[in-house]
Order: sequence, then structure tokens, then C-alpha cells
Amino acid sequence: MRLADVIALGSYQQRRPTIRAAALGLIVGSASVLLLGLSGWFITASALAGAAGAAVATSFNYMLPSAAIRLLAIARTGARYGEAVFSHDAGLHIGAKLRPALFAAVAAAPIRQALSLSRGRALSMVLDDVATVETALVRRSARWSAAGVLLGGAALLSLAGWAAMLGVGAVALLLLVATEQITRAARSLEEARDDALADLRIAADAILAAAAEVRCYRPDEVTRWIEEPDRTLAAAQRRLHGAGSRLQLVQAAALTVSAGLAFGLSTHEAPALAALAALAAAMTLDGLSPLLRELTERNRARSAGARLDTHLQVGSETRPIDGIAIMATLELLGRRLAAGERVWLSGRSGSGKTSLVEQLLALRPPIAGQARIDGIDIAFLPPEQLRPLFAWQPQDASALSGTVRDNLLVARPGACDRALWQALRDAALDHVIRALPEGLDSWIGEDGARFSGGERRRLSLARAFVSDAPWLLLDEPLEGLDPPTARLMIDRLNRRLARTRQGLVVVSHRPLPGLTRLSRIDLSAVDVPNMHQTARA
Amino acid sequence: MSSTALVDRRARQQMLRQTVGSDRRRLVATALLIGDTVAGVGFAAGLAGAVAAIAADEAWLAWAALALTAGIARGLFAMHAQRVGASLAADAKTRLRRRATAAAVSQPLAGARWGGEIATSIVDEVEALDGYVARFSPIRTAASLSPMIVLCAVALVSLVAALILVGTLVPLVAALILAGTAAADRSRQQFAATARLSGLFADRLRALPLLLAFQATGREEEVLSRAANDVASRTMRVLKVAFLSTGALEFFAALSVALVAVYAGFNVLRLLPFTPPEQLDLFSAFFVLALAPEFYLPLRRLAAAYHDKQAAETAADRIVALERDARPSAPRPLAEPPRVSFDEVTLRYEGSDVDAVAAVSFSVAPGEAIALMGASGSGKSSILGALVGLVPSREGSLAIDGHALDNGTSLAGAVAWVAQAPLIVPGTLADNIRLARPDASRAEIADAASAAGLSAVIASRPGGLDAVIDARGGGLSGGERRRIGLARALLSRAPLLLLDEPTAHLDHLAEAELIPVIARACRGRTALIATHSAALACVADRVIRLEDRA
Repeated sequence: MRLADVIALGSYQQRRPTIRAAALGLIVGSASVLLLGLSGWFITASALAGAAGAAVATSFNYMLPSAAIRLLAIARTGARYGEAVFSHDAGLHIGAKLRPALFAAVAAAPIRQALSLSRGRALSMVLDDVATVETALVRRSARWSAAGVLLGGAALLSLAGWAAMLGVGAVALLLLVATEQITRAARSLEEARDDALADLRIAADAILAAAAEVRCYRPDEVTRWIEEPDRTLAAAQRRLHGAGSRLQLVQAAALTVSAGLAFGLSTHEAPALAALAALAAAMTLDGLSPLLRELTERNRARSAGARLDTHLQVGSETRPIDGIAIMATLELLGRRLAAGERVWLSGRSGSGKTSLVEQLLALRPPIAGQARIDGIDIAFLPPEQLRPLFAWQPQDASALSGTVRDNLLVARPGACDRALWQALRDAALDHVIRALPEGLDSWIGEDGARFSGGERRRLSLARAFVSDAPWLLLDEPLEGLDPPTARLMIDRLNRRLARTRQGLVVVSHRPLPGLTRLSRIDLSAVDVPNMHQTARA
Repeated sequence: MSSTALVDRRARQQMLRQTVGSDRRRLVATALLIGDTVAGVGFAAGLAGAVAAIAADEAWLAWAALALTAGIARGLFAMHAQRVGASLAADAKTRLRRRATAAAVSQPLAGARWGGEIATSIVDEVEALDGYVARFSPIRTAASLSPMIVLCAVALVSLVAALILVGTLVPLVAALILAGTAAADRSRQQFAATARLSGLFADRLRALPLLLAFQATGREEEVLSRAANDVASRTMRVLKVAFLSTGALEFFAALSVALVAVYAGFNVLRLLPFTPPEQLDLFSAFFVLALAPEFYLPLRRLAAAYHDKQAAETAADRIVALERDARPSAPRPLAEPPRVSFDEVTLRYEGSDVDAVAAVSFSVAPGEAIALMGASGSGKSSILGALVGLVPSREGSLAIDGHALDNGTSLAGAVAWVAQAPLIVPGTLADNIRLARPDASRAEIADAASAAGLSAVIASRPGGLDAVIDARGGGLSGGERRRIGLARALLSRAPLLLLDEPTAHLDHLAEAELIPVIARACRGRTALIATHSAALACVADRVIRLEDRA
């Protein structure tokens, strides 16, 4: 799926508001020109009629133009309101397709690439790009309003003669070409600005990464080090602004020249028509400014779109392998575990416990020879076959922003409330959730902000309990728990395992007293190939 | 809650005011925008004069020339307003960036917030104030004066037309007040809606490992899709109302043109149902008509620049928070190599709910070098950080020469620090080494450089010690960067030396070359070496093993 396809599909589904916004844009554009042009004609004609005496004045048909002026004023306002509403309606709804499509594409990407987009600068860049594309989508009716301006201008100017119409048309064309030229010339300035910004980021990152050293040696100097890249950036921006400000001059000059040209070329007509021509020409050029803005920002929107395209077009193909049973046996570092067995992975931090767990879940590229499922090395198994085997409680206890229920149902959609409460109880969290005013439907805030570290961990544990996968994979379940809660949890885990007959792989740097039938694999004692490298990857 | 919000709002306003500052150029930018309006009056006069001249069969070229001159003057004013605004903003950002950087380096370490997010504050959030300083602020000032100028010009030729303009302004202002500031509502809603959506999207991407592991990505895509559509629909409901107030601005702008046109038309036709206090000629009628749209132009410009204000306020809040969270520590000077004693010290990063180091006790004698060893995560770096005020201690006592080192005081100024990734600043090699002791002579710097094993680097580069290193590191290898860090330590006369994994990620050969340099740097001072390397630990007089946190 490409970005163009996402937008095309969205545009098709949103065709009604899109067409309405376009139609109203046409009306806005033409009404703006007609309103002022007609007003100019009306006043001049009225003045001449008034000067010619009462008889002429009364015979002058003033009703029609004055009614038209009022009608145009109301039509322009109404149409502009409608245009804004419909263009936002269409743009926002088309934009609403972007994020889900991106999410799906990222989720299907090879794991390393997918996870690299899920944090830090890469993530904020994706968010910026989506916002840029969305803004461009909302503004798509600008070209229709410009078309309306040109139509209205052409209609009025044709009354003043071909020469005036063509003259103003030529100026409008020149303005568009000049804008395009200036924008194109500014592209290299934009690149210079982006480079300067990148250098500034590098400097800021370097200073912050060395904060301790900065503190020790020259804390007062630190601002000076940021100043040089800052100055380069400021200079680049000044040049860019200089180019941008030239557009203002060109636009104002085009407006003035077109009004003068239209006036000059229609002096042979009636004075009222000359007035009409001058004002219509000025409004025509003025009305083009939304289009000019779109022209100047098109480049930015395009490069944002191109970057999003690279994320949208990834995807990895895998083929399932036959011969994996539902109650699969597991082999970790050469130790065979039958379904329902329990094992404790111990070892120093950095000895590769979490790395091993993440390989089982295909959350990190596998290293051959570390683990087998039903005798097949996990390096040969696609993620779709590995992941359903495990119910995972991650070490970082991350939570979704949403309700408690949202968080639990991740593990098994459609699980009944009884199962959810049972899982919460086994994770020793049921009393906390019961105390919340909305129970399972309580909002837990961004990344579980409402909960303490220990509560988040237990929520994460409860989530793993909701899944009925044959193996429980618990990564440091006792971390941050006080001893009585830890004892309670282990007790309930024993009972749960007896009931569900699930196997257990538990990572813990400290012993798990009271957990029965537990064998142990000490990773500090095993020689794990490449473990250091992967632990840092 | 509301009082903190008020305090925050005040702090933000104050910061924005300081950012704009009392720079003369702000007045210049405002004056240029007002000049634009004055030129607009000239343009209208030229146009009206030309039309009137044609109708009276007189020479119209002079009037046309006036219109042309005024029209181009408008362009020049607008162009220079933008340029002045940009240069004003550039200086304001430089000042602010300096402040933000100073605040950033005195932040206590706090997990994920550290690093990336703070760098964003220094770079992007300061950048977000550009539009506010360059555009919004001058436009806001001009928007209160420019309409008055138009009004005066109109009133000079037609009082009734001026009254019509004022008459449409009054209900407009009422409508704006009733509906809240039109543009404010609109941009705030759009801003908030996008932020909400982005927040959800970012949240689901952050939780991607979890969703992948539970094969829940398909469901979450649906959730995201529903939420996105829902937010879009809800935003639209709000926008429909918010656009009404923008519509009011439009409506009264259009209405004023229409009313002025109809009034002026009927006035010159002498067909008004009442006796007007004035009789307009073609010139004045056309003049007021051409000026009518000008009356609302400044307000429309202000509305268009409103998102600058929105973006600036969001960014200002973050920078204010950064400055508020800064914990500059008072320096504790040291004359002699100190005795460092940790007695049951527990350290914890701000915002974390796990101790980085729990109840650690050890003591280092004056002039002794010790190696702190232990798995990653056992808190070696945190112990060093506590000595320079980067990590607050929660319990226990940290004493230097028997005197407690409280939170808020640090040894930072009396420490030579050797990091895993030493700071490389723009400047020459010598400048980089001189950081440790600004008053060092060139000979001392050269000695330190060669003692740190930088002779090969110096010899290989044109300019030697004066070779310029650019911001990206100028092709220095990891080992060479570390040698620069060590040269600094050798040059420094600080009596306490702290080394934070000085040989991590180096191969054995590179490490073996550095070890004698480190040994030399330790001589005559108290030294703490945090390391994984057994070879490096041999340099130390004693090894202290930190247990895994449990």
C-alpha cells in the first residue's frame, strides 16, 4: 500500500465533502472577485448617473446591482464557512486513515525496523510527517478557490475587453511561475537549514550525553558551544526568510501591476467598466494567495509523503513450518522442557536473560542454537508461529493508554469479565482495580501513569494471565514488589499453574522462594554465543 | 491545581515576554506593518483618483502612478517586516537556546527524559517560538493600530462610511467575545485533536513489542482506525462551531464592503431615503469602497498567525518546566586529594521508582585509587554521578573528608572526569584539551596530549594541536576521543579523578594502550574507576564489587 493509494481510497470515501468543498471553494473565489468588481462598477456608474441629473438617476437600474452586492456578500461568507467545514471534514477523515495504515505497515515490518520506529527521533519524525501530510490534505480546496478566483476574474474582465483579460491572465501566470521559481531556488536554502538543524541536534545531544564532564570542567562555557551551530542555523534561516520575503514583494507588485494594467487597457471603455476591471484584477491576484501558499509548501508535503511512503511499503514475508504442536515442547540453551514444566532463568544483568525471552517472541533477530520449539530452531520459525505459544509479561511493564479492560484484552480479545477478574486476582491486583470508581473500565492514563511501578508490573502480569498460551514468559515479575505481595503472588501463581497446566519460563535475578517444581538455568554459567553483542543490540 | 496552572501560565507569559524582549526591531517590524496599511490607503486613493479622473475626462496617469508606487511600497513594507521579524526571532532564539542549554546541563538525571527529550527542548522547542516572535507579536501590535488608521482615512472623506465600519466592528467584537476568540478556538481545537491522535498513535507504536507478542496489532489497527475517525468526527463537531466565529469575521468584512458600496452608490445617486450629512463625489465614494476590505485585513492576518501563538505556548511550557526542574548545585572546593566515604547510601533517579544503588558503604582514602566493579545496572555510574550532583541521594550519608555532601552541593568543580564518550566541542584539538584548565600554557597542553598518546593524531593532522575538529567529531576514532578525555584529566589539577567506564567498547589492544595513561592520571589524587574490565581494575589499589541490585 502506498501513500497515494491510502489517500486515493480516502478521497473516494470522502468524495461528497471533497466535492462540496471544491464547489464551495469555486464559489468563494468567484464571489470575492465579483463582490468588489461589481461594487466598483456600481459606484462609478451611480456617480455618473447621479451627476447626469435626477432623471437619469431614477432611470438607472440600481436595484439589481445593489441586491447582487448584498447577495454576493452573504454567499461569500456562507460559502467560505462551508468550504472550511467540508474541506476539514474530508481532510481530517482522509488523514484518519494515515495512522492506522502506517501502524499496520510498521507492525508488519522486519522486527528491527519496526522497533526502531517506535521511539525517539524516528517516532517524532513520523508524527511530524503525518501532521504535514494532514495539513496539506485539509488545504486541498485551495486550488478550487483559486480556480473560482480565475473564473470570476475572467468573467468580469471580459466585460472590459480581451486585452484587459489577457493582460491580467498573463500577470497571474507570471506570478505563479515566479513563485515556483523562488520556491525552487529556496529548496537548497531549505536543505542548508535542515543540515544546520541536524548539526545543532548533534551538538545538543553531545553536550547532554557528556553532562557529567560538562559539569566538572566548564559549566559556564556550555552555552558557547551551542552558539556556533546556533549561529549557522540562524544565518541559514535568515537566507531562507530573505527568499520567502521576496515572495511578498513579487505578490504585491503583481497585484498592483495587474490592477494598473487592467485599468490602463480598459480606459477606452466606460469609466465604470475601467473601475470594475481594476478592482477585479486586484482581487483576482489577491485571491490566488492560498494557492501560492500551497505551492510554497508543496515541497515539504511531498518530502514528508515520500518518507511516509518508505515506511508504508515495507513488509516481510514468512512461511509457516509444519510440525509444531499446540502444546509445544521447548528447548532452552540445550535444556529440554516438556509442556507444563517450569524453569527459572537466572544470571547477572547483562547475561542475556531478557534477550533470550525476546528471541522466543521474535522481538529480536534470533541467534541460531539458543532455543528450539518441538525440535525446530526458533531461527527457522516465523513470528506468527512463535508468538501464539507464549503469554508474556515484559520487564518494562509497559501499558497502553486506555482502560484496564483495554490493557487486559490485548492478550485475548473477547475474554469474559470473570476471566479478567481471575487474572487480576492471581496478579494480586484485584483489590486495587475494585477500589477504582469505574472498575475494569477505569482509564489508566498514558503508559499507566495512574498506577505505581509495582501496580503497572502486576497489571502487565495480569495481562499475561489472561492469555491461554501454553507457556507463560514472565520477565522479572517480582521487581518492585514488597515481600508480602511477592509471597502472595507466588502463592497464587502456584495455584494458577496447577489449574491451567501452562508451562512457565520466569526470568528473575533473585530467587523465587515458594515457587514449586522449579528447575533452574543459570545464564552466567552457560556460555551463550554472541550474547554480549545481542544484549546491546 | 488551578493555582499551579495559574502560576504556570504566568511563568509562560513572562517567558514569552522576555523572549520578545524590548528589542528596537520589534517596533521596526510593527512600524513596517503599519506602513503597509498606510500604503494601502495610498493605493486606494490612487485607484479612486484614477477612476474619478477618467470619469471626468482628466489626466489619470498621475493617480495611477500613485497607486502603482503605493502598491509596490506595500510589497516592500511586507518584505522588510518579514526580514526584520526573522532577524529578531533569530536573536531571541539564540538567547533562549543559551538559557535552555544552561538549564539542561543542570538537570538531575532522570531515566528516559534525559537526553533525547531535553535535546528536543533545546533544538525544536526553541525553534517553535520562531513564528511567535517573527510574526505574531508584531502583527498583534499592528492589529490594534492599523484599523484606526484606515478608519481615520475613511472618516476624512465620509463620516457615514466610517460609522458603517465602526458599526460592523462592534457586533464583530461582540461575536468574537461571545464565541471566544475565533482563531484561538479553531487552532486550539485542531491542535488538541492532532495531539490526541498523535498521542494514541505514538502510544501504540511504543507498545509495539507488547502488541506483537500478543498478536494484537490487527485489533489495535482497528482501534486506531476507529479512534482516528472518532477524533476526526468529534473535531469536526467542534470546528463547525469554531468556524462560526471565523465566519463572523468574514461576514462582517463582507458586510462592511457591501454596506459601504450600497451606501456610497445611493449617496452619489442622491437616492438615499434620508438626507445624508455629506454628499460624496466619485473619488470619495470609490476611495471608501477600496478601503473597506483594508479595515479588516489586520484582524484577518492576526487570525492567520494564531497557530504561531499556540505552538509557542506549548513550547514555552516545556522550556519553563526545564528551567524549573534544573538543580544547579553549589560547588564544594577541594584543596587536597579527599577521603570519600559512602555510608549506607541509597541513590534514586528523579521520577524513578527503583533505587539505582541501595545502601552502599565503602570508603576511599586520600590518594587511593579504587575500581568499582559490578554488572551493568549495579549502579557504578550512579555513584560517580552522586559526587557531581547528578543523582540525588535518598538515604545514608555521603561524606567528603568527614563532612557530609548534601544534595544541592557537589564536587563538580574539583573533579577531573573521564567519560566513555568524552565531549568534543567545536574548536581545535588544543581548545578541546584546554577545557580542563583554561589557564594552562601551550607547553602543558602539548605535554598532556603526548602523555595521553595523542602524538600520532597530532602528527597526522595539518596544524597539529591547532587542527580544527568539527561538530561531528572530525573523523576521530572512539579511542582517540577517549585519549582527549584522558589528556584533559592529565592537564587538570583537580584532586579527585572519576572515570566512568573509560575503556568500554574498546578492543584489548586499544585498552592495553590506555591503561598506563589512566594509571598516570590517577597518581597523586583520589580516584574512582567504574569499570567492567579486570585489566583496568589492576591499576587500582583496591577493587570494590557492587552487588546486583536486589
